[in-house]
Amino acid sequence: MDFSIRASTLEDCKDIARMILELAEYEKVLDQVKVTQKELEQDGTKEGHAKVGYALYFYTYSSWKGRALYMEDLYVMPEFRGKGIGKALMSKVAQLGLAAGCTQLNFAVLDWNKPSLDFYLSQGCFDVTADMGYHCMRCEGAALEQLAQGDT
Amino acid sequence: MIMELAVYEKMPDQVKISHEELERDGFSPNPFYECLIAEVPDEHKTKDGYTIVGYALYFYTYSTWKGRSVYMEDLYVMPDFRGKGIGKGLMAKVAQVGVEKQCVRLQLSVLDWNKPSLDFYVAKGAEDLTAKEGWHFLRFDGQSLDTLAKEAPKD
Repeated sequence: MDFSIRASTLEDCKDIARMILELAEYEKVLDQVKVTQKELEQDGTKEGHAKVGYALYFYTYSSWKGRALYMEDLYVMPEFRGKGIGKALMSKVAQLGLAAGCTQLNFAVLDWNKPSLDFYLSQGCFDVTADMGYHCMRCEGAALEQLAQGDT
Repeated sequence: MIMELAVYEKMPDQVKISHEELERDGFSPNPFYECLIAEVPDEHKTKDGYTIVGYALYFYTYSTWKGRSVYMEDLYVMPDFRGKGIGKGLMAKVAQVGVEKQCVRLQLSVLDWNKPSLDFYVAKGAEDLTAKEGWHFLRFDGQSLDTLAKEAPKD
């Protein structure tokens, strides 16, 4: 199947918002999605997206290794899977990251999501949580407000 | 202090960054991170003469579910200065800066054996998403990252 990978534009935000919801449904957390198309348009710069799939990423920083990339979402619509699109999107993110001087590409997967875990491990990554013991922690909502006010 | 924290986390050999890289990446027109430091008056300086005794390094991230977020990469206070509210002060300041920029989440990671830190963060209202929801971090670096990048389609 012929496909192309390109950087997203403002006009793509409607499709990105649609696919974010599709991915959240796959991850069984549809009720968690609050981001709107308008916010995506305001907050977006350049992301690698196609209309049947997308990869949303941003630059992060490792205090041990320096510049890094975090891939927040990788999604291909179900009927377009198994054709190399997911791999191509991820490779493009890696390529852009290396060009910008990044030495890591990081992302997160749910432990029950075996198809995705198998896919990622087959591409050569390693499980930082399983191998090194890192846990993700989060403050949000009332806990974040209280922390910001110094009330905890 | 990055080195001191890495020693605490039992991985000092993993630190490859230089202070020149920190200068370039933190203080250019498009910085990759921001950093708060905790400073004490001269009369409380350490035996080696340091008055800068803690730091919090963070950057902005994005949740496709909730929008703007902040990630606290490092929080560190030198051992002799712990238990005085400095760590909490640094973390609260990161949260405050984030909230001012309309961030709705503060995220970080902790090693599973690091009980003092886990307890500290949970006491501040953080949830352990790995334990609660099953999230794992995965990573490509070194050879695996190079190999993956080489397979990208041509533009």
